[in-house]
Amino acid sequence: MIFRPNPALGVPIYLQLMEQVKHAVETGALRAGEQLPGIRPLAEQLVINPNTVAKAYRELEHEGIIELRHGAGAFVAAGARTKDLADRVRAGQAAVRQMVERLRARGLSDDEIRRFVEAELAGLNQATGGRRG
Amino acid sequence: MADRLTIDATDLRKRYGAVDALCGLALGVPAGSIYGFLGRNGAGKTTTLKVLLGMARPDAGEARVFGLDATKEAASVDIRRRTAFVSEEKDLYDYMTVDEMIHFTSSFYPRWRKDLAARYRRTFDLPGDRKGKALSRGTRTKLALLLALCRGAELLILDEPTSGLDPAVSEEVLQALVSYVDSAETTVFFSSHQIAEVDQIADHVTIVDRGRAIVQGALDDVRARYRSIQLVFDGDAPAVTFRAPGVVRAWREHRVLTVLSSAGADEIVDEARGLNPVSVTVTPLTLKDIFLETVMKEK
Amino acid sequence: MLWYKAWLETRSRFVIGLALLFVMACGVVFTYRTVQELIPLASSLGQSGGALGRLVSESAAIESTYRGYVWWQWFRQNLCQTWTLFALLLGTGGLTLQGTRGGALYTLSLPTSRTRLLAVRAGTGLAELAVLAFIPSIVITLLSPTIGQSYSVGDVLVHGLCLFVAGAAVFCLTVFFSTQFADAWSPALLALIVVVVQSAAEFVLPTLRPYTLFRTMSGESYLLDGALPWAGLLVSVTASAVLLLAADRNLRRRDF
Repeated sequence: MIFRPNPALGVPIYLQLMEQVKHAVETGALRAGEQLPGIRPLAEQLVINPNTVAKAYRELEHEGIIELRHGAGAFVAAGARTKDLADRVRAGQAAVRQMVERLRARGLSDDEIRRFVEAELAGLNQATGGRRG
Repeated sequence: MADRLTIDATDLRKRYGAVDALCGLALGVPAGSIYGFLGRNGAGKTTTLKVLLGMARPDAGEARVFGLDATKEAASVDIRRRTAFVSEEKDLYDYMTVDEMIHFTSSFYPRWRKDLAARYRRTFDLPGDRKGKALSRGTRTKLALLLALCRGAELLILDEPTSGLDPAVSEEVLQALVSYVDSAETTVFFSSHQIAEVDQIADHVTIVDRGRAIVQGALDDVRARYRSIQLVFDGDAPAVTFRAPGVVRAWREHRVLTVLSSAGADEIVDEARGLNPVSVTVTPLTLKDIFLETVMKEK
Repeated sequence: MLWYKAWLETRSRFVIGLALLFVMACGVVFTYRTVQELIPLASSLGQSGGALGRLVSESAAIESTYRGYVWWQWFRQNLCQTWTLFALLLGTGGLTLQGTRGGALYTLSLPTSRTRLLAVRAGTGLAELAVLAFIPSIVITLLSPTIGQSYSVGDVLVHGLCLFVAGAAVFCLTVFFSTQFADAWSPALLALIVVVVQSAAEFVLPTLRPYTLFRTMSGESYLLDGALPWAGLLVSVTASAVLLLAADRNLRRRDF
């Protein structure tokens, strides 16, 4: 169910993992209360560092998407996160569509737009760098 | 992760004839980490490993493994009791069969894991009665890996573990390494010139070039710190020496000034705005970018 | 299991040496008749004088008895020379030769000291050479009755002892050279040259006669006077010890 993260993308592996879990929750592949794979088995399966999986799970817990039950494992958090997520995704997609159309209207190419977005995200990560452990 | 350093080396120097293999190399490998030692061929990786294992003696500097001095004979034997090494050539005995090699090796390690040996023998599909000289490179690597993983060693040291292997076998090797690390009791230290595998499984990295460590730290930190800052000017880009620290390299091409920074990109950008560029673009770098940029034109 | 490994590494050389010496020992026994017939002829030839003549007379005199014959053919020539050859061959090998492809790095990554590795290698070689020094000679004792002769076990033991103790120096010399040079043939070749040179030394300085290698190894003084060549044996034992210590020092200082 979870695909191999791609280290060459420039996006940290733990972020890719988090995105995959969020996507799975959003599409209903993972439902509230269902258990996620254990940290070590998942690391072995994806052939990535166990600490990376641990970090992704911690962040997901921080965002309220999963809960880590001591001794039992990681479970998808109960609550209406699924619907909230779907709503936010739709709103986000609309916003991005508008922005891209506007920038294209100004004569910017798709490559330029992509670079601006990445740079902005990188800049954003730097500013909040202290928060992420 | 524990604060303990399994490997702690400072200012290592080693000269072979006219060649300076190590020029003041420093290294700190935390216990429980998967540590990637990245560098081009001839950068000093193998020499470092040999110093740690007591196979070669440094001209200067200190090397400690488990807190023991790697340059002292008796301490070195103690270190090797708790360490497993896989050489680049997957060096084994031509004249011994697979089973004989397993039996031979197990006699040196009281903590030998027979159960693991049986399991790996099965999963790696090793032919018990075939002699070392008749094994393919992939099979030899798997045998070398089995011999390393079953010793109950606290530290695995591997020199280019996946060199010469096809992608499927490479992945088996990496998977075995990932599954070996278990809390802060086991550490994996491997040298490589393949950035992809370091990216994939390592949580710490050192990039070594010409006998010196030029990039060091937790992989996530390294990726977060390094930035490429591109400044475009109206006329030709000015020659500038930045006051802000963290500038690794800066080069000009017509109207574009590009700065590679290892830290403090914000401060550099602030300083750069003072030069009135037309645009400022900050982009993150992949490990491959960082590697290529930092070793390509070192001084 | 280091001993087992050392055995695997030297097994072929040892077995070939043993087989070769067995065959040669049989040869010594069964050619006795032929040689016996030639002795009167040799004696008369020896009268013609010159260095060669002296040598021929000397050999004829000694070979007139069975005991002397066995000594001359076996302990002085066949066994002595062949055994020395195998001392050179068995001394070759070790970590320095095995480099990156021969398993040296693997061995060096094991929790064992280089001194111990050398000790096991030397011990195995010496044990094998001890067998080669005594066992094939027993064949002569066992087969002699078939031609109506007898050869005492006591002689086998004494001559074997002289051969082994004195000849061990050749082995140790080869081992020493093997820690200096990384190729397969230089150590044996150099040791051979040293052996040949010291052998020729007795012609330049006759006072060295009691100490030279081959005369000590063959136990000549025991045959002629019933006295063991103590001086030569002592020199050899001392040389062996010094050479092994030097080899150990070489090995411990080497960068692999």
